[in-house]
Amino acid sequence: MANLNLTLKVWRQENAQAQGRIETYKAKNIPDEASFLEMLDIVNEELVHEGKEPIHFDHDCREGICGMCSLTINGVPHGGKKVTTCQLHMRQFKDGDTIWIEPFRAAAFPLLRDLVVDRTALDKIIAAGGFVDVRTGAAPNANNMPVRKKTADAAFDAAACIGCGACVASCKNSAAMLFTSAKAAHLNLLPQGQPEKNKRVLAMVRQMDALGFGNCTNLYECEAACPKGISVDNIAKLNRDYMIACAAEAVGVYS
Amino acid sequence: MGRKDVIALMNDIITTACKFVTSSIGRKILVALTGACLLLFLVGHLAGNMTIYGGDVAAGGTSWIDYYATGLHSMPGWLLWSIRLGLLAVGLVHIVLALVLKYENYNARTHYQKEGTLKATLSSRTMVVTGIMILCFMVFHIWTFAVCGDPHNCYQVIVTAFQQPWCSIVYLVALCCLFMHVRHGVQSVLQTLGLSTRKVRPLYNIVGILFGLAVCGCLASIPVCVMLGILK
Repeated sequence: MANLNLTLKVWRQENAQAQGRIETYKAKNIPDEASFLEMLDIVNEELVHEGKEPIHFDHDCREGICGMCSLTINGVPHGGKKVTTCQLHMRQFKDGDTIWIEPFRAAAFPLLRDLVVDRTALDKIIAAGGFVDVRTGAAPNANNMPVRKKTADAAFDAAACIGCGACVASCKNSAAMLFTSAKAAHLNLLPQGQPEKNKRVLAMVRQMDALGFGNCTNLYECEAACPKGISVDNIAKLNRDYMIACAAEAVGVYS
Repeated sequence: MGRKDVIALMNDIITTACKFVTSSIGRKILVALTGACLLLFLVGHLAGNMTIYGGDVAAGGTSWIDYYATGLHSMPGWLLWSIRLGLLAVGLVHIVLALVLKYENYNARTHYQKEGTLKATLSSRTMVVTGIMILCFMVFHIWTFAVCGDPHNCYQVIVTAFQQPWCSIVYLVALCCLFMHVRHGVQSVLQTLGLSTRKVRPLYNIVGILFGLAVCGCLASIPVCVMLGILK
């Protein structure tokens, strides 16, 4: 078990209005079984000890399920190892490495402080249509509501999205298509979500556009950076569903 | 259906159409559809160009490409001009919407100090650059061959043009840009139109590369053959 000595290049910014800059820190004696966030904890303890302001970053469950942790590591959200930052371990790095740590950047994610950004825009997309209007009860009994196995799998895969925003942060256009499409597909595929499919698709896409996200150019960076492996198949589905929803809206078919 | 109902329906259709062409996905779909039209045009253009290998009058035979070019020009005026204006409209929609989307994407971003890329290909990230290069080339191309060219003497006009090395090099560079643009464009069109899944996406990628190689390779063969003295 080797301990690592690293150089960190961290984005520091006091508040939304302040001018941000990259500052260099030494991370000394980091155990390789530490998570990336634990490594920052160690660095922060030292900063506090020296009477300096610790590095502010988002985190919550530290189990890879809540979607709260962020950080763009060496230019890639969550470090690009198909896990969230809290599940990224220091054994992925080598002694002497220089690591660049920046916030999840997008105009729709205003920076609050250091590495903390406001991802409320994603919640606003959900609030526009990522729900079922009526009570659908508790989890139904098995086979009570027939759903094809493949459809159920696809809905499950889409529902794995934890809404961390890595898709937006990794996108060269800051588009929120992977997030929006996964959240729409998850409900659109299932019987409980189908009655409001067209309404949901139109509302979510229009909200996404209004919030100032970019437009998808099919680079598939989002899929590669997603810690939950959400597929860009959902984006193709959203494009299809959007065409159908527009046609339905034009001639007054409301499903 | 009364008059009022018809007006209400027209109103709904126009409202939705306006929302569609101002939405992100709607504009992407228009760029994809016009892109698909341009890909089809490219195939037609290529088929026509290949008639240059049919020989020249000077070599004792009939020149296929002169015959083909004269044939195109002898189409009824209204038909010829509707095709030209139609292509211009398709091209303009493709270019203008793509630039508007790009402008929005630029504004949606805040840049990283250290950029990282996992999967996006160079051609997918440079679509606007290669697109603008192709546009500049097209202005030059239409000027040299369509405006200054002579359909009755098409073969000689082409051979004379490509005997100048700078002209051939401009064409080869433009064809490299075209390859990059088409290589991402083919699978991007299919994804945007919702016809893509993880099963077929790798296949689309290969189809895009092969399509680009075939089209650009065949088109590039003409200046290369002229410079090598095979076509003269």
